[in-house]
Amino acid sequence: MRDELRQALRDGEHLGARYALQIPQVAASGWTGSRSGRRAGSSIDFQDYREYQPGDDLRFIDWGIYARTDRLTVKLFREEVVPHLDLVLDGSRSMNLEKSAKAGAAAQLAALLATAATNAQCTQAVWFSGEGFQRLANDTLTPSAWDKLELDSKRTPERSFEIMPPKFRRLAVRVFVSDLLWPGEPLQILRRLRDGAAALFVVQLLARDDATPPEHGNLRVVDSETGDESEIYIDSAIAKQYADNLAQLQQSWADACRQCGAQMTTIIAEDLENSLGELESIQLLAPA
Amino acid sequence: MIPFLTYPLAMIALATVPALAAIYILRNRFRRKQVSSLVLWRFHVQSKSGGAKIHRLQLPLLFFLELLALLLLVTAATGPHWKLPQSARPLIVVLDDSFSMRAVDSGVSAQTRARDFLEKLFRQSPPPSTRLILAGTEPRSLGSIAKNWSEVNELLPQWKCWSPDASIDSAITLAAELGKQQANILVLTDHKPAGEKITNPRLEWHAFGEPLDNFAFVNASRTAFGDEDRCLLEIANFSGAARTTKLLIQTGTNAAQGSLVSLGARESQRLVFNIPTGTPLLRAELEADSLAEDNEIQLLPPIRKRVRVQVALTNENLSALANRTLDATGLRAAISEDPELVISDNDVIAGSNSWSLCWSTAGATNAYTGPFIVDTSHPLAEGVALEGVIWAGAEMTNAPGDIPVILAGNVPLLSAREDVAGRRHLTLNFNPELSTLQDTPDWPILFWNILKWRAAETPGLSDSNARLGTEVTLKTTGEPVTVIQPDGTKAVFPKTGGELALETPMPGIYSVAMGATTNQFSVNALTADESDLSACTTGQWGKWSEDTERRLEETSAVWVFGLLALGLLCAHLYLVAAGKGTR
Repeated sequence: MRDELRQALRDGEHLGARYALQIPQVAASGWTGSRSGRRAGSSIDFQDYREYQPGDDLRFIDWGIYARTDRLTVKLFREEVVPHLDLVLDGSRSMNLEKSAKAGAAAQLAALLATAATNAQCTQAVWFSGEGFQRLANDTLTPSAWDKLELDSKRTPERSFEIMPPKFRRLAVRVFVSDLLWPGEPLQILRRLRDGAAALFVVQLLARDDATPPEHGNLRVVDSETGDESEIYIDSAIAKQYADNLAQLQQSWADACRQCGAQMTTIIAEDLENSLGELESIQLLAPA
Repeated sequence: MIPFLTYPLAMIALATVPALAAIYILRNRFRRKQVSSLVLWRFHVQSKSGGAKIHRLQLPLLFFLELLALLLLVTAATGPHWKLPQSARPLIVVLDDSFSMRAVDSGVSAQTRARDFLEKLFRQSPPPSTRLILAGTEPRSLGSIAKNWSEVNELLPQWKCWSPDASIDSAITLAAELGKQQANILVLTDHKPAGEKITNPRLEWHAFGEPLDNFAFVNASRTAFGDEDRCLLEIANFSGAARTTKLLIQTGTNAAQGSLVSLGARESQRLVFNIPTGTPLLRAELEADSLAEDNEIQLLPPIRKRVRVQVALTNENLSALANRTLDATGLRAAISEDPELVISDNDVIAGSNSWSLCWSTAGATNAYTGPFIVDTSHPLAEGVALEGVIWAGAEMTNAPGDIPVILAGNVPLLSAREDVAGRRHLTLNFNPELSTLQDTPDWPILFWNILKWRAAETPGLSDSNARLGTEVTLKTTGEPVTVIQPDGTKAVFPKTGGELALETPMPGIYSVAMGATTNQFSVNALTADESDLSACTTGQWGKWSEDTERRLEETSAVWVFGLLALGLLCAHLYLVAAGKGTR
């Protein structure tokens, strides 16, 4: 893994110490843990009574009620769970755009979210797209211990889904970090990401060069993923058309997110630290 | 096709055109830039399959404006002209450069009066362009065309009036050629034209002279005369009545000796006297009068070049005859070491600087009585008559390379050739025992010619005294020559080959430094025609005809192209400021 990415992970970890992941109530489900779940469990907090059903733990039968009413009644206690964050990173080459801060910002953002999740007593899994989705090495540890974070895939996340989808945990909070710059129908991948999730957040991470077309002049633009080239003379009309295309793409993703109940925001990589308010506004992060 | 080598500015400007094109080509080069995805560039994506395409060079309007401005500047740099109708005519002024223009009347010279007239003419009706021609011994155009009086005034200091003659007719002819019969010609002189009536409608002749009395030196010489120098001074009275003047003669640092010279109207008197050889400079002066330039002469000692001769003849009689004849010429040096001429029986080379005279009597038994064929243009044959002479020589033909000077039929009697080192080799086919040549004046003349020719080829000046306007010849050694004129002007000739002809543009003492040696020569204004001021007059002859027709004349169009280029650059500036034209 490149040194600058490792440094970005450390920076993100440091930055994330100030935040905690906001866990929606629907996500209060998971493995037994230290956080109250939305179901009955085995904690000491009494929740309710209900009639005994075969299979219930005999230890929770309230014998006093049985003595009084001759009915087997069990006591219900609040479940204690550990919520979970599935962080999905776009591992395509476009996230590693040359002469931009995009790769570093992606690593920093992932580390920030993972640290915020830890602060919110969540477990986390980091998935990145490549030849299918894979777990990042050491992703259960602190971000500075993560390894093999390489953003060099030629596949789009959509294609990676088709090859090998990630094994998301049910009712986990899912955050998808990508530049979303690939042709295709956003709704399809969003539905897959949203399926079984407590919440889905889409963070579009763009380099400043992605958001702003270059100055006037002749350009030979090279696709970072496919290597395709195109020679274009940039003038004010072309620049406007580029901006329109970007706005149209973002709008299509925003519409798809709305359909799926996902939250979406856009962050400029070079301006990451000043854009964390956007993550708060979509209720992904909260001050710790 | 523009002759660009003639217009270096145009060539430089044109060189910027490819530079401009290169700037735009490089500017329009496609810069490579990696983007996240081409999905946002779909509007312009082109397939690269099937090989690269040739793209039309995309040049903005600014490029064409800049290119056009450059081309206009290139054209302007070539100095374009076009024909425009003109009412005023250009002027060509012929200036009399002879020293009679220096004659002073009431403290003002004819040259000053002519200059004042020219200035007044410029104030009243300045011509569109003016060219000056100096009428000296040869007409000479002064500088380039002047546009106004200040430019003319800058050229006028070259009008010095030191010439011994004024070739005004040649100058008018030159002016007519330069003016293409369109320019007005103005002659400024001190005498009237040869013909009383001037028929040329484009010629005006103005004279500013005055008929003044003048005493003048008209001849002066100082020649070697045995052990003394013989001086000749000729003084002329160019007055209408008898007059007396005072003559002062000073030799070296001795006190000047004065005497009165009385001459009748238009009379002249020659004074001949001898002075010792060692006298450095003879200076003679007449009383001041209207023309000061001919009142003084300076004569330097004559150049006595002697030739070191070695007589190496084996025949004693011939040797004695040769020595006797050489001594009689007076041109033989006292010593014969490092000889400059070797006289011998055979053609020997005695030194790198030595000429040879091969005097052979072998087989010279044929006595020729003539007729003799003499190459009178040859320096050896100068003054040789050979009338009634019997010349005995061997019957032979001239050797290859030999140029016969004297022949009897086809038999060369005297011939000369030059070798690769520049040395001369003379062959004398002569037997005095059967001849009468040695008893005639031709014999010493022949030897005098030989020594004189040899002396003339030795390095140094040919004369120590010269007339104003003549050339003084300097035989050089190949070393740099520096000439300092009487007014201090220095001329350096870094490499000279053989002979250098030195001009004498003004009277006085000239200094010539060649290598380690420095020599001097004197130049005197000795021209009777210029000293004679009786024919000088004031007046105007001829008048320029009034212009009635409209003439087409070449006029510079540089300003038009310059203005167009300026307009284009303003448009360029506007487009740049407005952000237009970049595409």
